[in-house]
Amino acid sequence: MREMTYTDAAREGLAEEMALNPLIFVVGEGIGPRGGNFNTTLGLYDLYGEMRLRDTPISERGFSTICTGAAVLGARPVVDFMFLDFELDALGDIINQTTRIRWMSNGRLKAPVVFRGGVGIASTGPHHSSNLFSIFMHLPGMRVVTPVFPADAKGLLKTALRNEDPVMFLEHKKLLKTKGEVPESEYFTPFGKANIVRSGKDVSVVAISYMVIKALKAAQTLEKEGISVEVIDPRTLSPLDTDTILESVSRTHRLLIVDEDFSPCGAGAEITAQVMERGFYELDAPVRRVNGVFAPAPYSPPLEAAVVPNETSIAQALRDLSAE
Amino acid sequence: MAYEVTLPRLGWDMEEGALGGWLKQEGDYVNAGDLLFTVEGDKAIQEIEALDSGYLKFAPGAPSPGQKVPVGTLLGYLVTKEELASFGQSKPLAVQAASSAVIQKTTPKPVPVHPQDLSFQPEAHPRRIYISPYARRLAEGLGVNWQQVKGSGRDGRIMAQDVQATADRQATEKVPAVAPAPTPSVPVSAPATTRLPMTQVRRSIAEHMALSAHTTAPVTLNCEVDATELGVLRRQLKDDPAFAESPVPSYNDMLTKIAAQALLEHPEVNARIEGNDIIQFTSAHIAVAVDTERGLLTPVLRDVQSKSLRQIARESVVLIEQARQATISYEALQGGTFTITNLGMYEIEYFTPIINLPQCAILGVGQIVPKQVVVDVEREILAIRQRMALSLSFDHRLVDGAQAARFLQRIKRLIEKPYLWLAG
Repeated sequence: MREMTYTDAAREGLAEEMALNPLIFVVGEGIGPRGGNFNTTLGLYDLYGEMRLRDTPISERGFSTICTGAAVLGARPVVDFMFLDFELDALGDIINQTTRIRWMSNGRLKAPVVFRGGVGIASTGPHHSSNLFSIFMHLPGMRVVTPVFPADAKGLLKTALRNEDPVMFLEHKKLLKTKGEVPESEYFTPFGKANIVRSGKDVSVVAISYMVIKALKAAQTLEKEGISVEVIDPRTLSPLDTDTILESVSRTHRLLIVDEDFSPCGAGAEITAQVMERGFYELDAPVRRVNGVFAPAPYSPPLEAAVVPNETSIAQALRDLSAE
Repeated sequence: MAYEVTLPRLGWDMEEGALGGWLKQEGDYVNAGDLLFTVEGDKAIQEIEALDSGYLKFAPGAPSPGQKVPVGTLLGYLVTKEELASFGQSKPLAVQAASSAVIQKTTPKPVPVHPQDLSFQPEAHPRRIYISPYARRLAEGLGVNWQQVKGSGRDGRIMAQDVQATADRQATEKVPAVAPAPTPSVPVSAPATTRLPMTQVRRSIAEHMALSAHTTAPVTLNCEVDATELGVLRRQLKDDPAFAESPVPSYNDMLTKIAAQALLEHPEVNARIEGNDIIQFTSAHIAVAVDTERGLLTPVLRDVQSKSLRQIARESVVLIEQARQATISYEALQGGTFTITNLGMYEIEYFTPIINLPQCAILGVGQIVPKQVVVDVEREILAIRQRMALSLSFDHRLVDGAQAARFLQRIKRLIEKPYLWLAG
């Protein structure tokens, strides 16, 4: 099968859907002729021009809310925030209008806007490193998508472009240049279906976004020590595939959650609570979490290395959990 | 060899305490078991005995009596005579390093002395046993008395692997699955149990019955009817050559026919709730409760109102057999509008059947018993009649007591006077 980078695969998904559906358009800063800061729209301006690849002023709230209106009237806008942190300037209307209008109109109006942007710590400092997973998981009506592999980046973006609800499409910046196999024929990756990316029998790990890659490396290390680790990529945090997680825990009886985002009220807290509520008698040890340190992301590389979970800290947590 | 003397923990929640005073002088030889010093806890002063023997040497910088310090604070050493001489004199640093190395190896926890005061003795209380939820469930499933299992997890918590190891050992030792009686200090274990997975049928029954019990407003009416004539009819059918080739109708078949007639005359009972509406049915689909190895099943006889008793008997024989052989289709169990359940063969008279949702009512049939009854009050005549007990449970949300009573009264009349069926 052919190999592609994460960004190329996602862009191929966007291009396929844009070719099929003239109501899809993209707005954002530098997504026109420049092709996006992260190459998210590279080459598409030549195909579809300014009407469908619209550069915007630095006015997140304005263009996000305009897109909400366009979506309500039937269009399918993609808001490319470049760094997802910038979405915070638009959050008021996204929460109050975009995620709620379908409910407030008794389902008559829909606002299927795809919000996308780079998340995660990647030598990007405090203003360009947010993950914010749990903020979006906390919004009824919002879909939260965290692709890890190029094939899922494409398949999930295509699903997002046909979804009827607003979608937060979160691309970890350290994944953008990673390569992976991508099928040539058309496919869609469903929301709410986790992927067991490595099978194991001693401990289950739910890793979020880029942490899947780190968890897989830690799992390799532990295999040599005789500990068999199962790694689950939830792929979407909302809807969250708790069934697959529970099914895995009912085989391994131990669960570690690895999330670069902060631990208080984080995705791991939610997953832990659900597993405890539905799978208490499957647990042979307390659920454990490895999270990014509860602090703004530092810019200094040594400090950054100290706040982000890595394969060593994940491996140690897995050892501790196995002996717990 | 030097032993450390530290401030002991005198209760699970004690974090700090004070040295009350030494009961030995520095340089005294102390035997293991001698009272060595006192500790001021929150509530009392306690005498502490030495665990090891040696010459007492106060620690340099040890807390003074009355000064609150954390549990584990070094108070002194028990040393050999040679060490006593060198301590604090020629090479104190080297010895201290050596003693701390010894301590690291020999005393992982800073509780080197036993408290004397019984009221503080933690050993007097059974230790709380920690076990993971999964290990506990596994132990119950394997019949392992987990209170006897030694845990290998953090702080001695029992993990699944400990339970599994115990179970494996018990299996190889061929000891009975139930562990020996616990020692008196251990809480009495729960009685031995057998854990059976719920079958699909059982789970379905459980959900269905619980739903009925929680949503309906059930009332049960009881009445005794005279089934003598019904018995006569059954004998006549049995003796009829026309039934040589086809099954003779059972009492259940006859009651099915009767119930259908009564339901047509009382459509309020042949009904169910859908949303805010009551749906009344114009045909009677009668479910008959069948006891099978898999559990209770209720195959449905359809359009009973337009079928002859002979047809009903033929169909019910097939349905009951299919239910017992587990070959019955899902469809054949659906769509009943009323249920009949018969416990007569178990010598039961009255009971309170649970309404088979979404139906409105269920008729419980008891055993037919010959009883002496008054047949003519005026002439004071008694007779022995075949009496049958009926229990009708109905959903008071749909019908009222009087309506249900009229329905049951009609059934009673049709049982007692089978000729009425001819009218249809």
